[in-house]
Amino acid sequence: MGVSFLKEPGIEKSEMIAAWPGIGNIGLIAVDTLRAMVEADQFAEIEPWDFFYPLSVTVKNGELASLDFPASRFYHKRIGEKDLIFFIGEQQPAHEKKGYQLASLVLDVALRYGCQRVYTCGAAVAPIHHTMRPKVWAVPNKTGLLPEVKSYPNTVLLGEIEGRSGQGSVTGLNGLLLGIARARGLDGISLLGEIPVYISQFPTSYPRASKSVVEVLAHHLQLTLDLSNLDNLAGQVDETIEKIYEQIPPEMRQRIDQLKSVGVSGEEAQGPITEDEKRRIVQNVDEFFKKGGKA
Amino acid sequence: MNQGEAFKIHELPRLQNPSLIVAWSQDAGRLGSKVIDLLNRKLGGREMGELDASAFFSLWGVQIEDNVIQFPESKFYSCETRDLILFKSDSPAQEWYKFLNTILDVAVLSCKAKQVFSIGGFISSMAHTSVRRTIGVVSRPELKEFLLEDVPDIDSLEYQTPLGGRPTMNSYLMWVAKRRDVSCINLWSEVPFYLAAAEDPRACKKMLAILDRKFKLGITLDDIEDEIKSQNEKIEELKARNPDIARYVEMLEKGIMLNQEESEKLAKDVLDFLS
Repeated sequence: MGVSFLKEPGIEKSEMIAAWPGIGNIGLIAVDTLRAMVEADQFAEIEPWDFFYPLSVTVKNGELASLDFPASRFYHKRIGEKDLIFFIGEQQPAHEKKGYQLASLVLDVALRYGCQRVYTCGAAVAPIHHTMRPKVWAVPNKTGLLPEVKSYPNTVLLGEIEGRSGQGSVTGLNGLLLGIARARGLDGISLLGEIPVYISQFPTSYPRASKSVVEVLAHHLQLTLDLSNLDNLAGQVDETIEKIYEQIPPEMRQRIDQLKSVGVSGEEAQGPITEDEKRRIVQNVDEFFKKGGKA
Repeated sequence: MNQGEAFKIHELPRLQNPSLIVAWSQDAGRLGSKVIDLLNRKLGGREMGELDASAFFSLWGVQIEDNVIQFPESKFYSCETRDLILFKSDSPAQEWYKFLNTILDVAVLSCKAKQVFSIGGFISSMAHTSVRRTIGVVSRPELKEFLLEDVPDIDSLEYQTPLGGRPTMNSYLMWVAKRRDVSCINLWSEVPFYLAAAEDPRACKKMLAILDRKFKLGITLDDIEDEIKSQNEKIEELKARNPDIARYVEMLEKGIMLNQEESEKLAKDVLDFLS
């Protein structure tokens, strides 16, 4: 169980931003977009065979040529005085124990390079409409980070959503990494971009939410970024969503449109829509697509 | 089983430079497990060791098959007179890399095995009366010579896992063996799709004949020939009772593809009739 280092990046103090595939690939697209924009270089990779089953085999002229596994790569970029480590995993391990081992290995690399803070990025399934600007749900792993997180733009604390009274959960490696980070004394913040609940099961990415996550990271890193590529991507996905939306019967569409007046944190709430109604909307949309898009 | 070890050797066999033959219980046409069972029976194979199920399988409950509780098995057998190790196992549910390395630890480190053969069936749109083709994959080019007689077109084999698929345990084993510089050969026999969930004695016979030649086993194949005959007779009986089945088999014999509905009906009716 190990890490292959391609080069020594020479980092003494750093921050890490991590993401894996998940709902709408929101975190993955956000972190990969940022990594590409700052032109970070790969310097290490986790040896995958202890964590993942291979994805494909290639045979050439009757001889085994290669076996390909999901990659888990580390990248580095110095921005001003700050060293950033990006971790991008192509898959999350299927078993809890393996998830713990992988997260621990990621933090081993982070600590080797003096990492002081870790961000994880993912999705928050929310009762919002797809025409709305997604907010970012945030949760830190230490009380002392709350004031900073509250100051982030377009961000709400996960524990303050709809009377959660500070409770909630972050599933998968996005949560686990920050839990282990807390146990090992590292600061950690999870940033989760909102995706409409009725889209969350679609096999499509949701770049609008990725953009919201990148904007929060850019704010923290004091970076000015041109995010038009994400806008273009979001435009393409919006077209697909709209096509699906047009197929939905008017009555159901009307109910989904009620979500336009809902603010998840409560401060923007205008229309009366109950939890039961939200559940019914999702159920209706789900049933609609199970029936092959026929009312 | 020593603490920390994922395997147990009951009795270290007296072997020189054995070959290891690996097969999986969940195989098309039950080819792998049937070939290992037949080799054990014909060569007087003795159970020599096993892998620890708790390390590689989910044991939160058990599976039931044919109304009987099952438990995953991963067992080694030795055939000292033919210098062979046989390994038959369920496919592991986790820790695949460690599992495959442990197989090689037992065979190569403990028993000094010099090469690994893995066998399996691949599903084909063919009639059960047709000749089974064999394909082979090697871990290093010099091993192709060993297969030329049985797989003359080995050089022309090109393959990539299709989208949505995943590599077989045999492919993964070959990759692990290659990393350890252990020679490895995968041998695959065609299995008609409608025998995939049943048994395909014809494919087993083909595989046994190859192994017999390669390892000079001197085994007789009369009993499996009887099984082929018996299965053919049963399918003829089904064809006589059911004109649709007769038509589907005839189409396959003429090289005509069946549509999904026809394929599913043929597979279901044959399996029901043979069970």
